Amino acid sequence: MTDTSILRLDCIHKNFGGVNVIDDLSFEVQRGSRTALIGPNGAGKTTVFNLISGVFFPDSGSIFVGENDITGIKSGTRIRHGIARTFQNVRLMPHLSTLENVILGQHSRNRGWLGALQPVNLLPGNRWCEEARAGLADAGLGDYERASVGSLPYGVQRRIELVRALMAQPKLLLLDEPAAGLNAAETEELQIHLFKLCQSGDLTLLVVEHDMHFVGALCEAAVVLSFGRKIAEGTPDAVRDNPDVQEVYLGKSASPVSAASEKKEGDRASQRA
Amino acid sequence: MIGQQIINGVTLGSVYAMVAVALTLSIGVLNFLNFSIPGLFMIGGMALWALLDAGIPWPLAVVGALVIAVAASLMVERFTWRWLRGAPHFVPLVSSMAFLLLFEHIAIAYWGSDMRVVPEAFSGGDWRIAGLVIGIPQLMGLLCSIALVAGLSWLLASTRTGRALRTIAEDPDTALLLGVDINRVVSVVFIVAGLFTALAGILFAINYRQVHPFMGEAVGLKGISAMIIGGMGNIWGSIVGGLIIGTTEVFAISYFGADFVDLAVFGLLLAILILRPTGLFRGMQPVRFGI
Amino acid sequence: MSGYFEGVLVLLAINVVFAYGAYLPLAAGQLNLGIAGFAAVGAYGSAYLSDTFAIHPILAIPIGAMFAGLIALLVAVPVLRTRGIYLALATFAVGQIVRAAILNLEFLGGAAGYPVSAFVGLPVVLGFALAVIVVVMVLFATRFGIALRAVQDDERVADLMGVEVRGFQMAAFILGAAVAGIGGGLYAHHFSYIEAQYFNIGLSISIVLYVLLGGTQTAWGPLIGATVFTLLPELLRGSASLRYVVFAAGVIVLMALRPQGLLTRATIQRLFDWRNPPIPGVPMASGRGQ
Repeated sequence: MTDTSILRLDCIHKNFGGVNVIDDLSFEVQRGSRTALIGPNGAGKTTVFNLISGVFFPDSGSIFVGENDITGIKSGTRIRHGIARTFQNVRLMPHLSTLENVILGQHSRNRGWLGALQPVNLLPGNRWCEEARAGLADAGLGDYERASVGSLPYGVQRRIELVRALMAQPKLLLLDEPAAGLNAAETEELQIHLFKLCQSGDLTLLVVEHDMHFVGALCEAAVVLSFGRKIAEGTPDAVRDNPDVQEVYLGKSASPVSAASEKKEGDRASQRA
Repeated sequence: MIGQQIINGVTLGSVYAMVAVALTLSIGVLNFLNFSIPGLFMIGGMALWALLDAGIPWPLAVVGALVIAVAASLMVERFTWRWLRGAPHFVPLVSSMAFLLLFEHIAIAYWGSDMRVVPEAFSGGDWRIAGLVIGIPQLMGLLCSIALVAGLSWLLASTRTGRALRTIAEDPDTALLLGVDINRVVSVVFIVAGLFTALAGILFAINYRQVHPFMGEAVGLKGISAMIIGGMGNIWGSIVGGLIIGTTEVFAISYFGADFVDLAVFGLLLAILILRPTGLFRGMQPVRFGI
Repeated sequence: MSGYFEGVLVLLAINVVFAYGAYLPLAAGQLNLGIAGFAAVGAYGSAYLSDTFAIHPILAIPIGAMFAGLIALLVAVPVLRTRGIYLALATFAVGQIVRAAILNLEFLGGAAGYPVSAFVGLPVVLGFALAVIVVVMVLFATRFGIALRAVQDDERVADLMGVEVRGFQMAAFILGAAVAGIGGGLYAHHFSYIEAQYFNIGLSISIVLYVLLGGTQTAWGPLIGATVFTLLPELLRGSASLRYVVFAAGVIVLMALRPQGLLTRATIQRLFDWRNPPIPGVPMASGRGQ
């Protein structure tokens, strides 16, 4: 492996009920890059995310974060290796306030029982609480601090989920269809926001997305999956011109996948999770 | 002596078994732990006593007690399962617990909290075989429960309603898609549960000749244990579980004293829950509710 | 203050303490149906200490609560391996076993009950209840409290956030048992007599009902639930059983009309948060679903 890669998947296999969902998959994500994971319906993109975040364990193969082999590490501790993620269908805690959801995002940085018993959300001025509020304010969500998230519009919930994931100060952020359900203006805003986040070079993005304009504008590298296998890898433009990729999408028009059917696949995948 | 204790254990066990069958049917089909069942058991026993006390002849009193209990069970259905479908999983459980309290305290309000004595059902009817005493009520109870469970198995295996019930048990949404009239079929579950439990209460009243408003609690709790020992959702498993609990109880009383019974029975229950939550016989998988 | 009023207040305070004992595990999505058993450990433990070693009740009650927590710690590892309905039944079995064990322990009086000579009055009872309320409220503003509620909402995501799900659930279960133990200790020392039969499944059910009726979404729910459903029956002049009938019927109607409990986040937001009025056109979350 090269020392510039932050994530490396090595010959990963995953089988669900006799179906090879992920078949001998290997790829690397470069440190500080914005990489897209794309592919048609049922290609196994969300499964890859679930394998990286530890929801499932692979049947064989290894996953490395930086130098560390995290293949056998439990899901709950992977965030401490710098991996945070969002979910395809937003999974905020409906009975926590926006601020509490964001504070929850800091959980992996907490050390020990004393930290856990610090009343972070009682008095104003607490370091953690102020950090969470600043995070919300940066994302333009300051007005929603005390709202219960279940009552907020979908687009706002997506943005809160992103803030929550960032609170873990991850090295690698997995975004599962961050632009799904957003309108054109919101999508562009998101893309600019993500771009800014990566400017310091400390954060690496791995993005599952089917909006190719979004991918083209945001990402500098892409990995294409089809039926659990990697069929192409390169810059978004190069990948789009690849004959194998075009064949996979053949008959489905140039813009790869219909958003609706893709969404359905993801829902089912997350239900399985 | 041991033979006699086995007979007594089986008698008691058949009461527990019928309560366990009612519970297991509700869990197996509806995924609903119906805590009102101990209350229905009490209603069966106390209504029988009340009707006999009012001078109504035996056969009518039995039928009347069954009808009252089934009506109560349908009321439970109306306010737990039917109204609350889609609510958080604990809500029907909570409502059914409230029904237990409701039934018990209505009974106290009407009949007082004293122990009542049920008149003897069959005079001079004991069989003596090789030194063992078998009461006719005991025998009747056993035959009744075997017949009822056989009937229930047939209902589940071979009738339209049974097929519908099994479909609901698998997946209520699919059942709806297939055009199953869920409300009608689910009321069958509650009718059967009411019938089994009340009959258990009646048999208990006839065998032990005592009823009181809290009589359902101890029996209901042991019915729950029997259900789990046999494997939740497994009807024949519940019968075996009931017999195990019944004989364990009788033996524990004679060797260690009455105070030791609960320790033995609930210790057994806890051990099974921890070591083998699916029960001795394969019931359903330990499912997570709500998620 | 009239004796009657004082009696109601004591009952209310003890019920509130019990309710928080059941609420702590429920906030993490665990139904503890053995809460009366832990209350019994606290009651008998503290009573034995104050009786045999002449320890002052104010000290004996917390020590008794620690006994309850210790018992919870012993059973937590095997019992919390079970889930959902199995967990409810396992905790129920634990409660029954505790009660049955007390019946068999001669030095605790067995079936005859246990007279307690030391006495605590209304101020002490209220003081303990207030302390429990404050501690739980503060606890729910900590990372621990936030994580607990997150576990109830979505265990999988909480785990991915790095929440130690099992550890936190165990802590909530043990802490809840200890709080119930405080309630038991208060009961024993105020009423000067305890018997195993009092700590039956009916008590566990009533306590759980207070919490679910109040609502599990906020830490105020148990307080509201226990208060309403302790005082409401008192308003009725009539026999004890009539009060229970009203209580039970109230539970059934409330669950049918408002399964999320009396008090939800959305209610609180609507009542108190004038700075963030509900967004027009967006319906408030109904709070259905756990």
